[in-house]
Amino acid sequence: MTTDYLALAQAVAQRAAADGIEAEAYITHDTETQIKVSQGAVEQLSQSATRGIGVRIIDHGRTGYAYTSDFSDDSIEQTWRTARELAQIATPDEYRALPDPRPIPDEDLEIWDPKLESVPPEAKIDAIKRVERATLDYDARIILSEFCNYQDAISHVYLANSRGFAGQYGRTIALAFNMAIARGEDGGMVNAFGFGASNFFDELNPETIGRESASKAISILGGQPVPTQTAPVILDHFVSAQILGALAEALSAESWQKKRSFLLDRLGQQVGNDMVTLMDNGRMKRGVASAPFDAEGVPTSATRLIDEGVLQNLVYDSYSARKAGVQSTGNAQRFGHRSLPMLGPSNFYMQPGHQTRDEIIAGVEKGFYVISVMQTGGIDSVTGDCSMSANGLWIENGKIVGPVGGVTIATTLDGFLNNITAVGSDLRMVPAFGAIGVPTLRVDNVTIGGT
Amino acid sequence: MIAKELAQKVLAEALRTGADLAEIYVEDVVSLQLGLEDSKIEQAVRGADRGAGVRVFFGNLVTYAYTDTLDETSLMNAARAAAAAGSGSSQTRVIDLTERKSPLKYPVEIAFETMSIQEKANLLGKMDETARAYHPAIVQVNASYLELRRHMWLFNSAGVQVEDDRSYTEMRGGVIARRNGTLQSVREGFGGRMGLELLSRNDALGKMHEIAETAVKMLDARPCPAGEMPVVMCNGWGGVLFHEACGHQMEADFITKGSSAYTGKVGQQIANPIITAIDDGTIAGRRGSLAFDDDGTPAQRTVLIEKGILKEYMWDLVEARRVGRESSTGNGRRESYRHMPMPRMTNTFIDRGEHDPQEIIESVKRGVYIQSMAGGQADIAKGDYVFNATVAYLIEDGKLTTPLRGATIFGNGPKTLMQIDMVGNDLALDPGMGTCGKGQAARVSVGQPTLRIPAATVGGTDEPVSGM
Repeated sequence: MTTDYLALAQAVAQRAAADGIEAEAYITHDTETQIKVSQGAVEQLSQSATRGIGVRIIDHGRTGYAYTSDFSDDSIEQTWRTARELAQIATPDEYRALPDPRPIPDEDLEIWDPKLESVPPEAKIDAIKRVERATLDYDARIILSEFCNYQDAISHVYLANSRGFAGQYGRTIALAFNMAIARGEDGGMVNAFGFGASNFFDELNPETIGRESASKAISILGGQPVPTQTAPVILDHFVSAQILGALAEALSAESWQKKRSFLLDRLGQQVGNDMVTLMDNGRMKRGVASAPFDAEGVPTSATRLIDEGVLQNLVYDSYSARKAGVQSTGNAQRFGHRSLPMLGPSNFYMQPGHQTRDEIIAGVEKGFYVISVMQTGGIDSVTGDCSMSANGLWIENGKIVGPVGGVTIATTLDGFLNNITAVGSDLRMVPAFGAIGVPTLRVDNVTIGGT
Repeated sequence: MIAKELAQKVLAEALRTGADLAEIYVEDVVSLQLGLEDSKIEQAVRGADRGAGVRVFFGNLVTYAYTDTLDETSLMNAARAAAAAGSGSSQTRVIDLTERKSPLKYPVEIAFETMSIQEKANLLGKMDETARAYHPAIVQVNASYLELRRHMWLFNSAGVQVEDDRSYTEMRGGVIARRNGTLQSVREGFGGRMGLELLSRNDALGKMHEIAETAVKMLDARPCPAGEMPVVMCNGWGGVLFHEACGHQMEADFITKGSSAYTGKVGQQIANPIITAIDDGTIAGRRGSLAFDDDGTPAQRTVLIEKGILKEYMWDLVEARRVGRESSTGNGRRESYRHMPMPRMTNTFIDRGEHDPQEIIESVKRGVYIQSMAGGQADIAKGDYVFNATVAYLIEDGKLTTPLRGATIFGNGPKTLMQIDMVGNDLALDPGMGTCGKGQAARVSVGQPTLRIPAATVGGTDEPVSGM
């Protein structure tokens, strides 16, 4: 049985709309696979299809939303009726309205792997077993591969609204990760993650992922705290991606309009070193957060946010754009049918520079190469505070001299942007809150908290 | 939700290829969420989710398939998909399902429906007014309300048939204060496994007043000093410390693999003898409380550490089977029918000690007092933990003085447990807002009395503290 989901979305949007009441229907239909292996054997295997519908109503500037996974006629009717009732509760806001349909550029974003559907489970199991194998074979001190997971999703999105928009697209993603655990001679253990994600199954490289977690774990084994001091740090991709996540939040028009960004009211000003150029691009080829149109049907676009250190633009959805009197950048995002469209980054990245990682390390007289960090709420897009715990390697006279662990690093987000003194050529995308891309970075004047 | 006869049939199908255990987990979730920001109700969302997952055990291999349609055809398809990994024929038959009842009731005293959605929205409006009226420096306020009813049914081929009808209510509030380009943000709230009695047991407007007061006070915060120093953790929320520092390392999946520092340490001293720690999934009204866990095991109270001695880990069904334990500790939890359970904490806390909390603060010449935090994270293998304080004060000569911003507390769990040298007599659980993430989200509670860590690493941007 096949359902014409786009026709269904259009029918629901039409039925739910009335005089002065706008309606939008969003349907997802996903097939997901998850495989976990441990010690050479499959431990968990899950394969299923799931679908859902969410209906957004805007009744004279008031938004109501309801969703269900039950596609029976009664359930769908009850869902849009509930959304209409909930709209009565919301506070009217003249800028709340659905976007007018704009033409969607006909362009292949290369986000669909037609082969993924026919990749047999055995091939996926083989790929994730190779990740574990590569980790365990890397060094005798690697004792375990934990959280060794393969996941993929074949997703279909169908969106229609009462202003006449109707669109659909498919996107595939395959990802694999694991955590390597290494044990030193003294019995002390450390861990590190390896990760890979692509729209295309064949582009996952199991050996690279497995070796990344293993090599990082081995490198930080036996790390000891250094004395408390201020020094330059070099940040690995995964580390700076966490900081960029907070910058993306601070660069959303909603954060500005609601006065919750540390960058508030600094448009046109120099906010960072001139090596810093930040982009958001929802149309990046083979971007895991790429899509032809955003969560409310606006075409996605490329936006230059910080250009050589000068704050140039923000990302917008249709609400914040209407409020600011500009055009939406197509940055409405959703986490499936359960969520209202929300403003956020798509593929958000820092423009790479020219130096290799080794050249950046060679330029540091005395400093800290940070390989992994932990933080929860330590990087704050409102206050601009930025602190976390860190593991990594100590650098003296341009050379790595030994592992460091048990320390904290702290700066502010302003300090981060202004003290970047080297940008690597090795841009890498990390899927997190959209997808965040960073090269290796050197940041000066960071406080290291140790002994 | 599904008839016993159908469950029996689906389980038999799931066992056909040689599995030794099969299970059906059915879930029906209805939620209402209201959100206010910018003095406007911007979010009014109603959700309905229903589905079932079939889990099949072939020794240590576990396979899973789920469906969002509960008819016989869909359930039988899920059973066949989950069974597809097997290649044998059935040796196991389905034992007749017998419904078990829990003595734990968690009654909803005031039903969600007794208050209209408009009245709930009006309460958010009043919270906004209260915070804004406190001070002109308050530039933004958000407030949200969530009610959620998650009813689960579980059947397995060992004859287990249970259900747990879980209702949760949550209120959250946050404010942003701004002065001369400095911004401070404070968020708090309360919640529990209960109905609208939450609102009569807590004062939402009083809480907003308190949040606003703290945010304005934090505008004068100076950067936190960096380095090693004594840290005093408040009671209640301070329990994030134990949750991150040690709790995760006592979850059985990290024990059976040997990735936790506590592997093989039952019976050994792992903490200062003044420490007793408990995971208790049976406390009335608490966010982590269960009648049955998501494996169908009755919830229980588990003493993890007694007077410094490691007593027990937290087990789910998969890990208990792996080591041949007769039963789990009722710690198997899953985010939804789309997920398989894993060992998780419920309500986890350090038990009451002997010191007066004031005495603990007075004992510190120079250090940091942590009053509220944004959450934490743990590094299982190394045992390291970190959490970020949202509200903290400098302690000088035994008194709380300057508010501090950007404080990160970092340490090693096993070391910290040995080091904690003062435990207060003011045990409290958190206000009921905690969500733990371990690949899947789980509602949990944490708790502790006021306690002192004589030397922890504090991360901030200011000069080191000297003269401790």
